[in-house]
Amino acid sequence: MVSVSSINSCVHGSVSEKIGTFGRRVYNSIPNTVFKKDYWIDKVALMGKKCSSAEQRLILGVTALATQPFIDAHNKSVDEETRKVSVARTIGKIIAGTLTGFAIRKGCIKAIGAWSKKSGDVDKAGNLIKLNKLNTFFTPKGKFANNPDAFEQYKNALGTIVALVVMMFTNFLIDAPLTKFITNFLIDDGKKPDGGKKS
Amino acid sequence: MKSPAAMFDEFKNVIYKKYGENPGKMLVHTGVLGWILSSLAQVAAVVFNDKISREQKLFLIPQEAADAAANIISFYVVTNSVKAVGSKLVKTGKLSTPKILAYLEKTGIPVKSKKGIKSPVGKWDFDITKLANFDEIADHFKPFKNGVDVGASLVGSIISSNIITPVIRNEYAAKQQKNALAKMKTKQIKQLAAPRGISIEQYQNRVAARFGSGDGLKV
Repeated sequence: MVSVSSINSCVHGSVSEKIGTFGRRVYNSIPNTVFKKDYWIDKVALMGKKCSSAEQRLILGVTALATQPFIDAHNKSVDEETRKVSVARTIGKIIAGTLTGFAIRKGCIKAIGAWSKKSGDVDKAGNLIKLNKLNTFFTPKGKFANNPDAFEQYKNALGTIVALVVMMFTNFLIDAPLTKFITNFLIDDGKKPDGGKKS
Repeated sequence: MKSPAAMFDEFKNVIYKKYGENPGKMLVHTGVLGWILSSLAQVAAVVFNDKISREQKLFLIPQEAADAAANIISFYVVTNSVKAVGSKLVKTGKLSTPKILAYLEKTGIPVKSKKGIKSPVGKWDFDITKLANFDEIADHFKPFKNGVDVGASLVGSIISSNIITPVIRNEYAAKQQKNALAKMKTKQIKQLAAPRGISIEQYQNRVAARFGSGDGLKV
């Protein structure tokens, strides 16, 4: 059994004070939901484990292609010509940003993973990996490498941070020229007499 | 003074502690940083694209600047809020699994209100992670909560980046374009020069006298 004091400790006053009585009543009135099937519970847990910033960028890019050009195309505040350029640029930006963003994040996370080995790690063939200075360069010291889930998240976080540093350069070297190329391609294509239709 | 190696070890441990058990938070923080950096590049891409006309740049540059500001603010505010709601739902037991409910029952906490005893599960003030014997369920609870956190972060980022931001930036950029075009027009009128030796007023009178009514000049 749990003591009254331990239940009382579950009450965190500061957050509760910020939300008014009305907000709390609304929250409390929402019915509780239980994930009954193991399949969905496993899927939710797997998403937490496997979804890194790279997958997030990919999902954001795909959903952006479905919404943003549509929003720009229906922007009545600007003339038709500007609207067309705006749509072309939005598409170019999404494609270039998603491709480079996903690839660089994924690559950096993989690289950090390759240089964050810990004792007991095995290679694809199942052989124990011999640890050296290079493949343990990013491994945190001490007890931190013991929790496998947290260690995976650590590699994702560090890989993403490294990717952001890399993207400071690739944003200018790859993203911007690629966006420009795709935008110009779409603008030029739209200006062709046949409306840019390919035979 | 710490050595660079010691500082690097400390940095790795900070990243581990801060994000190792909180992937949702990592997605929000690195997402904000990513938007700042990519926005800088996108503004530069418009500025240096000579195929885009000056008038269109007047729309697209403010559009990019507005995009950046709206993206960063809305990404942080919306994504963080949706993530916080996701966390709250799991922590209070509003969103749970049979294993979590079984653990609560075993702990002596009623999962359903009965016989005048109200269940605290799913109520605002309840927090499973603060229970004294939380460690018993931590291995099941934490991955489930992390999954909900990440899912909520994704939903929040889609809403903020793909719906809220484009609408805000378009409204803002259209206003900016109108103002900029009006300024350009005023500047052009000011720069209208009369032929040498006469004032602009004299010039306008001469032109008016030359093209009288009926000469086809539309005023």
